[in-house]
Amino acid sequence: MNQAEVDTTQLLKGVLDLAVLAVLADADSYGYDVVRRLRENGLEHVGDASVYGTLRRLYQAGALNSYVVPSDEGPHRKYYGLNTRGREALDQSAQTWASLSKALNHLLNGRSNGHDK
Amino acid sequence: MTSNDQASGVATYAAAVRAALSDLPSDQANILLEDLEDHLREIAAEAEGPLAERLGPPEQYAKELRAAYGAGQVNTRRQDPVLRDLQLARAWVTGSEWYRQVRAFLPELRPAWWVLRGYLAALILAAAFSRGYGLGPIPNPTTKRGLAEILAMGVAIWLSVRIGRRSSTLPQVGRFLAVSANVLIAFVSIAVLGNMHSFTYSELIGTATPEQAPFTSAFAAGPIANIYPYSQDGKPLTNVLLYDQDGRPITVQQSEAQTSYPTGADGKAITNAYPLTQRHMNGDLVVAPRVAFPPWPTPSPSPSASASPTASPSPSPTR
Repeated sequence: MNQAEVDTTQLLKGVLDLAVLAVLADADSYGYDVVRRLRENGLEHVGDASVYGTLRRLYQAGALNSYVVPSDEGPHRKYYGLNTRGREALDQSAQTWASLSKALNHLLNGRSNGHDK
Repeated sequence: MTSNDQASGVATYAAAVRAALSDLPSDQANILLEDLEDHLREIAAEAEGPLAERLGPPEQYAKELRAAYGAGQVNTRRQDPVLRDLQLARAWVTGSEWYRQVRAFLPELRPAWWVLRGYLAALILAAAFSRGYGLGPIPNPTTKRGLAEILAMGVAIWLSVRIGRRSSTLPQVGRFLAVSANVLIAFVSIAVLGNMHSFTYSELIGTATPEQAPFTSAFAAGPIANIYPYSQDGKPLTNVLLYDQDGRPITVQQSEAQTSYPTGADGKAITNAYPLTQRHMNGDLVVAPRVAFPPWPTPSPSPSASASPTASPSPSPTR
């Protein structure tokens, strides 16, 4: 992993759950699709193993359903989707995130674009 | 990359990841790694290049996985490299496509084993009862003995298949006995098969005059090219006819000398009258060798069994 990936992983440690839940709230997805969608939405350096591990943990914790979609040309794919518990967890975490990010942004006060204060 | 290369690349990478996580309790590991191969396959299918290039080394991937799953502290104690390699090898083999296919196919071979096992069991029995008898892997249908063997094999195969088909309904003891019998038959039959004479073609098709194959004798120092018979009181014998325990004429190996056989009244060469008449390449007769007679316990003059004198000169021995 390069440095950007290391940094991302560090910062994301808390919020990857939230990100994955958010992706799945929009639409059910299989493992690699979740990774792709996270990266498309700005988390370019998110680690594949981190996403896969998070998916399995969320599933184990009972926040996700899973089902297999048979396919003619490719392999069968296992899709994950949010269940009720997952949706509740998402809403709660989203609220927490909103207040946290507001606080952080305030503290950082425009530093993120490399402007000195 | 062909899809086979891809598949084996995925399998290798996945096995390495599994091996790196082998210290996890197996139920945790199973839940975590359940979709690993499918997931990696998706990644591999998406673009070219080895997985390690795009995902980093498998050990690193495993570390990240472990951290994201929250599965307990990473074991910082250095794992014994030999143990690690063994685990890696085992994971690689059991995860491999080849292994899975072979294991899936093996049940189809069971009926073939039943037949083989019956044949081998009959063979072992025949070997146990055949001291001095030339046992071959295919019984000779032209002899009574051979027919009996064929019948025994048929019965044994029938029995073996019956037992095999009923094996799922056997009690625990029965199944244990069957497995032990299988192992026993397999081992003993290797020994029996290893000791067999192989058939000569003429014996197999039952020709009218089955000649015994020139025997490389077990009790001579080297290959036998001629036989010099003597009577008990030391007289050289000529035209002694020799036969083996099955009544077949004994013939010997060709030597460098030219052998001339006497021709019988029926026009066929007589090949088992000893000593054979042999000449060297330069035309000289082959002379009888020096021999050492064993000391008989009570010297009794027994009539020498010399055959009727023939036209060919017989060599005289030297004492």
